[in-house]
Amino acid sequence: MERIDILLSIVYLLLFPGFLFLFAFSLFTEYLDRKIYARIQRRVGPPFLQPFADLVKLSAKEDIVPEKAEHFMFTAAPLIGLAAIFAAFLYLPIVSTTGLHSFNGDLVVVLYLLTIPTLAMFLGGWYSGNVFGQKGGMRVASLLFSYEIPFFLALLTPALLQGSWKMADITRFEATHPLEFVVSLLGFFIGLIALQGKLERLPFDIPEAETEIVAGPLVEYSGRRLALFRLARDAEMVVGAGLIAVVFLAGPEPILPLEPVYLSWLVAALVFLLKTLFVIFLLILLKSAVARIRTDQMISFAYQWLIPLTLVQIFIAIIVRFFGGI
Amino acid sequence: MFKSLVKWARIKSPWILHMNCGSCNGCDIEILAALIPRLDAERFGVLLKGTPRHADVLVCTGPVTTQMKERLKRVYDQMPEPKFVVVVGQCGSSGGIYKGSYAVEGGIDTVIPVNAYVPGCPPRPDAIADGIIKLLASIKKGGKQ
Repeated sequence: MERIDILLSIVYLLLFPGFLFLFAFSLFTEYLDRKIYARIQRRVGPPFLQPFADLVKLSAKEDIVPEKAEHFMFTAAPLIGLAAIFAAFLYLPIVSTTGLHSFNGDLVVVLYLLTIPTLAMFLGGWYSGNVFGQKGGMRVASLLFSYEIPFFLALLTPALLQGSWKMADITRFEATHPLEFVVSLLGFFIGLIALQGKLERLPFDIPEAETEIVAGPLVEYSGRRLALFRLARDAEMVVGAGLIAVVFLAGPEPILPLEPVYLSWLVAALVFLLKTLFVIFLLILLKSAVARIRTDQMISFAYQWLIPLTLVQIFIAIIVRFFGGI
Repeated sequence: MFKSLVKWARIKSPWILHMNCGSCNGCDIEILAALIPRLDAERFGVLLKGTPRHADVLVCTGPVTTQMKERLKRVYDQMPEPKFVVVVGQCGSSGGIYKGSYAVEGGIDTVIPVNAYVPGCPPRPDAIADGIIKLLASIKKGGKQ
């Protein structure tokens, strides 16, 4: 029995819904992102295997570490970012009510792990020894404060409504109280916009701004390390969208008690996938509808609109809870 | 099998870097026109990159002026292997009407190795796209790895 358990957790970790699944789903997300973006611009768009081809090509290219770069940090930064994302993915409930491991406060752990890729990006840019890289790294770090606070606060609203920091409790509560989504609707959209900033996509792609600072923190990266950074970016999009789907849209719930148990896992994973794809679709629509804004515009937008609106959302949540909950 | 996978990936995802080595800007405008939504280079996996570190194909225009010679070499050296060079326009191919001038080297291939030429003054956007596709076809046939 125990041996089967160990085997199952290895399968969970490595194959489904672990690393291999996240890898494939990230590449698919990038394809979807570029394809829908192209279709909205009335283009044909890239073929299905394009992100995979990019990844293979970059991995097979020459690996350059610039003379001025700090060798250790330059190599470590993409690995740290990718590792943090993959670790965060394991906590998301996908096939059942819990992830690989569930405890009170796992929501905060995932939020924390999702901050690390941003810091890795900053470190990578800073130690690349290129002026554009350092400038991009500084932009990454300075914009962190504008979207991180609304993102945290918005994702904590459902936790406040339910009174638990555990993702399993939140999803179960949402599955039994559909009204909860209506109450936290504002938080859902704030979370989406903040996630867009976190992923450094339009209109918040200020750190990369290819018309101003070439490619930002990634200027000196080539070959394998660039491939890892790109993969980390795609995986971050999946995990971020998955987190929003779990916290606001009840993740894999409602879980049907099907026989055999594998069938119910499969259905739950399918429900999770559909919800995540819905969130990703909203992110793509947002990307194709807007143009890049300036740094000061982004910071004033975050502090004048996003954070006050988040506080309003938290106030609503507290009032609702005060009058006996949903 | 692994080698053929890498080769396939290389053909499917050529990222280009555009460099003006003293051209009159005619060819450069046509290169940008080759990337517009109407022709949609992304369906071949072509992306325009800003930094030589990300690029696979260097798209050059213009007769190499003496000033640009060192810069062109430097940008070429910054690109990671394997790298390819496509020359766009008459001046880049041979020096064009500037051939013999004291201020130009005359042709990109006098400075760096070139894989494909697209003649014309300036070439049409579809000719430029065709030049890049022909380069990819030559890689497929097994030219430079």
